Amino acid sequence: MTSVLAYNLIAHILLGLIGVIAFYAVWMILLKEKSALKWPKILAFVGTLSFFGSWITGGYYYVKFYGKAVKPVILSGKYPWAHTIITESKEHIFLLLPFLSIAVFLALWLLEDKIQSNNELKKWTAYLSGLIFVLGAIIAFAGVAISSAVK
Amino acid sequence: MSWFTFLIIAHVFGTILGVGGATFAEIFYLKALRDGEIDPTENSFLKITYRVLRIGLVILILSGVGIFILGRLTGHESSFYDPRFLAKMTMFAAIVINPILFQTKLLKSWIATSISLVSWYGAFIVGMWRNLDASYFEIISVYILAVMIAAFALEIIKKMIKIEK
Repeated sequence: MTSVLAYNLIAHILLGLIGVIAFYAVWMILLKEKSALKWPKILAFVGTLSFFGSWITGGYYYVKFYGKAVKPVILSGKYPWAHTIITESKEHIFLLLPFLSIAVFLALWLLEDKIQSNNELKKWTAYLSGLIFVLGAIIAFAGVAISSAVK
Repeated sequence: MSWFTFLIIAHVFGTILGVGGATFAEIFYLKALRDGEIDPTENSFLKITYRVLRIGLVILILSGVGIFILGRLTGHESSFYDPRFLAKMTMFAAIVINPILFQTKLLKSWIATSISLVSWYGAFIVGMWRNLDASYFEIISVYILAVMIAAFALEIIKKMIKIEK
């Protein structure tokens, strides 16, 4: 792996992680009975940008390196399911994340007053942030499993 | 400075903020509840302490993942299968999941506080105790026991300083 690809992979992981942390924080703040939306708005913005950054860097790594050098090793190794099930699931679940994060981001920025006054809307925005965190965490663990399968 | 040294320093720094934050959060909380209510000054102290704790947690996660990536890229994966590391990850998972369960009211305050405090100290001690010779289940058994003892001890302290639940 070239150093450009190595840094690309590191950026993919760290940006994804920042997105997961940001939406965890959004979720926790929105779960409180009384919460100002200043921080959730900033965090949702940071999280959404991070997910897009992770998406682009991950995509570059996949096209330039994974498909040619990693995938054949996994498929011919002891744990081919690491690609056929985990990578395939990871790719498809990850397609959802940036769009789910945009939904939370837009809700917080455009419907701030409604979220403050409507508990039901606040609750569902919190649940959506929670879903983003859970999916993000699953994807992170899937990444660990895939890299373990290569080794 | 190598990446490894930088990440270790960041990891220790995050741990210091986290363990210190968890400790002072509990001390300030108990002190604030002594007169039965949390006044604005006490509230601001608590808020700052929780903020420090959260910053510590974020630094800890990022540096921890950095160490993990570095280990993978340089072929030092064996330490990731160490019972000490796996036990530390379990305690760390408890630190992350605990607030979720508390905020969704699935966990009572007395046990959530104890889990937070013991998990921070547990992860710190297990991380620092390099030659600890124990299996994963032994470490986790001691951890669960420590959570129970801490919950009991905190309740006794609350009674001693006459704090209502």
